[in-house]
Amino acid sequence: MKRSRIIAIIFIIAFVGFFGSYSAWNAAQPEHTCASCHEINPSFHSWQTSAHREIKCVECHGTALSNGLHSLQEKGNMVLMHFTGDKHSADIRMSEEQILAIMDACIRCHQTEYSQWASGGHSTTYGRIFLDESHNQMEQPYWDCLRCHGMFYDGTIYDLVEPVSTSGPWKLKDDQMAQRPVIPCMTCHQIHTENDPYGQFAQRLDHDHAEPVVFDTRFPAVALYLRSDKQFLRADFLPGVDFFHNGQKINVSDDPLQRLCIQCHAPNFRREAGSEDNRTPYGVHEGLSCMSCHNAHSGNARNSCVNCHPATSNCGLDITTMNTTFFNPQSEHNIHFVSCDDCH
Amino acid sequence: MSHQIIQDRREFLKASIMAFGGAIMLPSCLRNYTPFLFFTADEALLLTAICEQIIPADENGPGATQAGVIYYIDKQLYEVFTWEQDKYRLGLTAINESSLELFSANFDMLPTDKQLLFLKKMEGNELPDSYWKDNSASGFFRTIIQHTMQGFYGPPRHGGNKNYISYKMINLDYPYVVGRNLYE
Repeated sequence: MKRSRIIAIIFIIAFVGFFGSYSAWNAAQPEHTCASCHEINPSFHSWQTSAHREIKCVECHGTALSNGLHSLQEKGNMVLMHFTGDKHSADIRMSEEQILAIMDACIRCHQTEYSQWASGGHSTTYGRIFLDESHNQMEQPYWDCLRCHGMFYDGTIYDLVEPVSTSGPWKLKDDQMAQRPVIPCMTCHQIHTENDPYGQFAQRLDHDHAEPVVFDTRFPAVALYLRSDKQFLRADFLPGVDFFHNGQKINVSDDPLQRLCIQCHAPNFRREAGSEDNRTPYGVHEGLSCMSCHNAHSGNARNSCVNCHPATSNCGLDITTMNTTFFNPQSEHNIHFVSCDDCH
Repeated sequence: MSHQIIQDRREFLKASIMAFGGAIMLPSCLRNYTPFLFFTADEALLLTAICEQIIPADENGPGATQAGVIYYIDKQLYEVFTWEQDKYRLGLTAINESSLELFSANFDMLPTDKQLLFLKKMEGNELPDSYWKDNSASGFFRTIIQHTMQGFYGPPRHGGNKNYISYKMINLDYPYVVGRNLYE
């Protein structure tokens, strides 16, 4: 046999073998592929019990060739790290760039939620947060800014802006960061987390069930990403906080989503409701959860009054036209804190 | 018709290539998946039962099982406490052998009161010596207690304390809710 023919046959076998195993790898169950590496084990383990367990790894994380040379290099580095890396740092964490790439995968299925998020304040960018000249002069940029504005940022505040002082105006060291969202989906959503929607549904259909069925009422996917720990904490495990108004403790909703909101819409150290960025309601709306009025993704509260009014209105008036910030943002009666004696 | 044949031929080629690649990958399919890095499934079951006896779930809160202490110990034995690996492997075997001799059943199959009785004997070094030649029963018990406490109360990034469950149990205000205090 001619030498060139032998080389051609070897080449064809190698080609078929490579692409065959590559296709088979992407089609196979993750426990035989991705989870072969111990670094992926915890993620695989949590994915198995999550709402996304029917979606294969490659659909969100891509394949080695799904993003050309970039993904080939990325996956290649992971394999290299597996064989050469230090076991002491075996925990894999996604970079901000990877988080945003995953977000594109979220959008493919959750388009409504994405459009709501995009229309609200939580879709704000590094540019809007850090290049506000009036704000630059008020506050020294420091590490804690990234706790709520840039949870997944890979560096420190010194890598992000300059000058790190109030002399401003601040400038982003990397101009391309300006358009990058600071609060992506994964800030409040843990993709790999326990969820049993089918189990709950099956229980509802079980009419012969003798025992009363207690349904899981939490929102399993809602969790806060703790930048300091590089971990998610489920919203229902977040601590409840006592709030005060004029020295008196007020009623606060025990809604896990409210606990999530106040992590960033936090009060001052005295835990005074309404202080700083906090909007925990007191007055006539005391005890309501943020979610009673605000859309979770957009923050929009425009059509929320009908959830309770006029059924619970005592005045017989159209409450949407009363002199509050709901009707007029310039009103002195903030809708979060309005009380009866503001008018009477 | 010819188009159909070409399509079938393409499908056949694709399937053949996949089958060839699948055959190359076959060894990974023969391996049983386990969520543990160091322990076997049986060892994990046994150690989980021991840890749950040390920190049981009760009216005050969750136990070691719910906090995922087993994952902490497994991860640390694999990544950090590598010098303790033999101690665990031999110790867990010795526990089951001792349990079989004393109660005619593996430790994790014993009722709770007998598990507790067994662990008291283990703490007091009162288990059959024949199984504890390479390992001190009380010493191994202390090691398990230490690691269980670490896995239950330590930060979740080390593998245990799932969902910061012990922090919630002891009413630790974590993460601390604090604003910018900008306007003070």
